[in-house]
Amino acid sequence: MMKAYNIMLAGVGGQGLVLTTSIICSAAFYAGYDVKSNDIIGLSQRGGKVWGSVRLGEKIYSPNIPPGDADFLVALEPLEADRWKGSLKKEGILIVNTGEIAPAHVAAEKAEYPADIIERLSTSYRLYAIDAASEGKKLGSAKVANLFLIGVLANHMEIPIEAWHAAIRENVPAGFIDMNIRAFDIGYEMHDQRE
Amino acid sequence: MEGKKVLMTGNQAIARGFYEAGGLVAASYPGSPAVEILESIKREYRQIYSEFSVNEKVALEVAMGASFAGARALASMKHVGVNIAMDPLMTFTQTKTAGGFVLVSGDDPGMASSQNEQDNRIIGKFANMAVLDPCDSQEAKDFTKISLELSETYGMPVMLRITSRLCHSRGIVELLDREEKPAEGFKPDKTNFNMIPPNTFKKQFEMKERLESLSKAAMDLGINRLEKGNGSEVLIITSGLVYNNLMELNLDMPVLKLGLVYPLPLDAIRSLASDYRRLIVIEEMSPFIENELKINGIECEGKSYFSFTGELGIEEIEAGLLRAGIFEESRYSGKMGEDKSVPPRLPLFCAGCPHRPVFDILKKSGRKVVGDIGCYSLAGIFPIEVLDTIISMGSSLGIIKGMAKAMKLSGKSEPLVAVIGDSTFFHSGMTGMVNMLHQIDPEDNMTIVILNNGTTAMTGGQHTASSGSYASEDDMHVDLEVLLRAMGFENVRSVDQFKYKEAKEAIDEEIKRPGLSIVIATRPCALRFKIREPHFYVDPNVCIACRNCIRTNCPPLRMKKYEGIEKLKSSINPEMCVGCSVCSQVCPVGAIKRADGEVE
Repeated sequence: MMKAYNIMLAGVGGQGLVLTTSIICSAAFYAGYDVKSNDIIGLSQRGGKVWGSVRLGEKIYSPNIPPGDADFLVALEPLEADRWKGSLKKEGILIVNTGEIAPAHVAAEKAEYPADIIERLSTSYRLYAIDAASEGKKLGSAKVANLFLIGVLANHMEIPIEAWHAAIRENVPAGFIDMNIRAFDIGYEMHDQRE
Repeated sequence: MEGKKVLMTGNQAIARGFYEAGGLVAASYPGSPAVEILESIKREYRQIYSEFSVNEKVALEVAMGASFAGARALASMKHVGVNIAMDPLMTFTQTKTAGGFVLVSGDDPGMASSQNEQDNRIIGKFANMAVLDPCDSQEAKDFTKISLELSETYGMPVMLRITSRLCHSRGIVELLDREEKPAEGFKPDKTNFNMIPPNTFKKQFEMKERLESLSKAAMDLGINRLEKGNGSEVLIITSGLVYNNLMELNLDMPVLKLGLVYPLPLDAIRSLASDYRRLIVIEEMSPFIENELKINGIECEGKSYFSFTGELGIEEIEAGLLRAGIFEESRYSGKMGEDKSVPPRLPLFCAGCPHRPVFDILKKSGRKVVGDIGCYSLAGIFPIEVLDTIISMGSSLGIIKGMAKAMKLSGKSEPLVAVIGDSTFFHSGMTGMVNMLHQIDPEDNMTIVILNNGTTAMTGGQHTASSGSYASEDDMHVDLEVLLRAMGFENVRSVDQFKYKEAKEAIDEEIKRPGLSIVIATRPCALRFKIREPHFYVDPNVCIACRNCIRTNCPPLRMKKYEGIEKLKSSINPEMCVGCSVCSQVCPVGAIKRADGEVE
């Protein structure tokens, strides 16, 4: 019996959520799972809140994850982690990129960006926080940021690492494959959960 | 290739289905959620002639012409796009199709990226077309092929109706080889293709008959299926993605899953109904299936338990069935997905977007602005909030004229402004523009700003008729200024909106000038045609915290605390700044300066 997973993703339009979703789907597919996913697409969403979901298991009908049913929440931005925390199961795992992007209401000083998101969420969930853009720049580009998060996610799932590498090769531009795989590997080792 | 399995979105699967079915001609106008169908055909299947036409009416006509010539043809568009194509569509459906024709309508329950939420199953019925409703990527591919076969068997155009969630959902799809279907050429048949009386009289009966015969055959097509559950007195009838959401509840109840939602297999459902105490229809948006059953004398329930708007996810279906008394225990009620107390995050113009300075200028003008559909519709929401009306593609030019005339007749004339993008202008703005010339009054003060960014930015940068002015690889190069002058307009001028002061002077001058003026803003889309200039930074010792720069709503700008300075001062995130310079030009004290050299 294959272990089924519900993965919720959230971020800001333009952060590469579609590509991230696509890599997770491909890895699950290579590992022999049935898989379905959702994305919010549309350039009109640029800078706005975007979210997606990936579901994998032996047989998947709906791409949707009902509230409170996600095993993982991969948040590309802290405020979006805060927004979608309710999608997680009680024992769910939260993986967050700590780089903040102020929404228009915050930039216009009509709302405050909550200062304590990471601490607050870490008391309720198993939380992994990564300053992914800074880590990415060490490798040469902030654009690989999401791969660290995927790496952490992968470490908690029963999908062989070869399937993840194949998924990255299939989905990222040819010239950037090595850098993306390195970012993934660093994420994978960063919070090693294996016995 | 045959039998290979791959992951595809619903949109990609439709493109694949059209390819496998031997499709030859595909046309579209870009619109979410269906835009990726044609993009995918263009990218993957070069054997097919495909085009992003100037609007949906033309796209439908191009595909219709291909069908007349015996080719399998596809026209895809978003739900409101079908409205633009309605005129030829309503007459096309009277003809007997030669090559298979499928119209893909991308509906948007929940309005993820649309101005309304119309249910195009109703248009399908209105136009006497069969309507198919697939539930995942595999079915999206299969149903595309079935649509083309049905179209040829019954001689009717077929609608493949999909929803945003399905368009963008990925699932596993089995690939098959392409079956070549060469076009047989146009076989003249004036009684079939010349849709004027007396030829049209017979056609009304033919449309009715073909739908009746399809309704009788519907259960044998293999796309409507009854799934028996254990001993329930209730039969659920549903279709599309809603079926898959229902399956997640694992109910073990009998379900009739419809692939063909119009015409319904009424005889079969009538006979089924006698085996059950209750029939419950679960469908998104309007009670379309429910009403079809009721007007045909089949008792059923549905919308009284489910929302008339938005999507029906797993939890909404559970809640509806709970209300219907089908079961008592709830797994999901009371659980919260999105936390509404977290500060909102609205979409906004990109860093370096050429619309930003234009809307800053218009906001400062204090004038009423008639908006239109495109990326620039974002100027209607917080924090820019300049647009006073937004209705449909190309409507701003008609609306501003009517508004000006009515205000004049009421003695309340004031200068009005309308904005329209280039893609929208070519789509359906041109006719409104020509109409401006009719009974034009030199005292009606109207200023039209055409935001010519060289692309259909809203949907990801597909070409427009003026893309050739910005990208040499594009084959369409309509010069807007020449076109407008040829139409008969005299007050036409172009501005570079990144030269903020000059652009502001020009726009203010035209707003002041009585009569009709046209200003063409010429900077291209920042996302498709990237700007790579050295970024800007704020000198906090010069900054007076006036927030003029912040009010342009550029993503890298934010007030922040500097060490040793008490007041909050403006700041620019160098990672996000593309160096368009607009913020430095609106700064009254010169606190915003360009960093030396470094361009990434």
